[in-house]
Amino acid sequence: MIGPGTHLPRSVKLRVFLRSLLLQASWNPKGMQNLGLVYALYPALERLYTDPEKRREAVQRHLTFFNTHPYVAAAIVGGVLYHEERIAAGEEDPTRVNEFKGALMGPLAALGDGFFWLSLRPAVGALCAALVPWLGAWAAVLFLVLYNVVHFTLRAQLFRMGLQLGDRLVEAVARARLPTRGARLRAVAAASAGAAAAYLAFTFGAQQGGLGGWLMAGGCLALGALSYVLVARKVPTAALTVLAALLAGFLGAWL
Amino acid sequence: MHVGWGHVALAGAWGALVSLERRAFLQAMFSRPLVAATGMGLLLGQLETGLYLGMVLELFYLGTASLGAALPENDTLAASGTTAAAAMMAWQTGGGGTPAIWSLSLLLFAGLGQLGRAVDHRLEAHASVLSAHGLELAEHGELERAVRQNLWGIWPYALAYLLLNAGCAALGLWIGTFLSHLPLVSLRGLAWAFPAMASVAAAIGARGSHARNAALWGLVGAAVMTGTTLVLAWVRG
Repeated sequence: MIGPGTHLPRSVKLRVFLRSLLLQASWNPKGMQNLGLVYALYPALERLYTDPEKRREAVQRHLTFFNTHPYVAAAIVGGVLYHEERIAAGEEDPTRVNEFKGALMGPLAALGDGFFWLSLRPAVGALCAALVPWLGAWAAVLFLVLYNVVHFTLRAQLFRMGLQLGDRLVEAVARARLPTRGARLRAVAAASAGAAAAYLAFTFGAQQGGLGGWLMAGGCLALGALSYVLVARKVPTAALTVLAALLAGFLGAWL
Repeated sequence: MHVGWGHVALAGAWGALVSLERRAFLQAMFSRPLVAATGMGLLLGQLETGLYLGMVLELFYLGTASLGAALPENDTLAASGTTAAAAMMAWQTGGGGTPAIWSLSLLLFAGLGQLGRAVDHRLEAHASVLSAHGLELAEHGELERAVRQNLWGIWPYALAYLLLNAGCAALGLWIGTFLSHLPLVSLRGLAWAFPAMASVAAAIGARGSHARNAALWGLVGAAVMTGTTLVLAWVRG
């Protein structure tokens, strides 16, 4: 065991962070991210506990149920290191680290899902999809750059906050006002989706030429508007898509 | 360019890679339809096919997310498999991708998202076995082996999605042999089905954006784009 007041070297923390990128490799319905978490933490636990029995106990306490958003999990992984350093130094009871994980994984999952999955990804995805006609393959590159600048910056910051602040990271995360930013991003996603539909419909209309082409383009957009209403009424999306294809295909064939 | 089993293998390899990225490693969104389909198109020499299928499928799956323990449709397999099939069909016809081919592949491979979800479900059961084994090993003090169980979860994914994507490419190659027999009128109909499906996908995307006043924002986007297109058409005469 390393002595009281000593800390994990930077190289070990970096290894833990990099291994946390495999958090979901063995996601399973029972323990969920438990194997991924213990895989990420292992270099630190190996360093902190030289006594095999203590090390086994440490591994076992992290093989229990664990599930959160894979990006914001970085904050919890950092926080676990913060607590494990203190547990190894005899300054804290081992139950503290599981209380910390249990208290944070739910709220942080909701925060991560809301911001990354339901706001940032749709916004950047729809914006870049709408830019495909102008940027070509660079639209996909732009998507990766825009998304990952935010993703990796926040992931690294969250890990650092967990390491430095432990339980106090909650206040720091709250200050980032992610839900407010998410609401704005969702509006970008909806507007970009509308723009992409209009572009495709009118491009095809122009290619076809004549009044029939423009009428078909308008018809495609009207189908989109109708679909929006039907999706809201829980009509299956796959059925809607096939029906729209059949209708437009039948009319378009006789143009 | 000669097209054959090398392309089928390439499709399988790319499909396996992006599926792993989606589930097991990084999650830096290489697995999103826009990227996965564009990459597939680029690798198979049919970039335009990848781009336009990626664009439509990105919008179609805009709102899907893996929340908690819920398993959504597998948008990555839908994108990579559909594009692999479409690219091979395009090669088989001897030309580039066309909206008719894109529509046909979207319609024929529409079930891939659900198939992927069923496969994911099966693979989770395998990961449960690994988790139980990990606990057992830790109990016996074999800690390194216990934590390494995490990595064993990766390989079944890679293999399953390699086979599925290669299968889609091979099917595309086969279906492509029939395309030249289709009457012109049905090809024209299939071509018009593409913007219609794109409009529906955009509507699903706008709805899936979870934005407050999503309909209004979608209309604003469509109106701005319509206005710009009409002004440009007028300027160009």
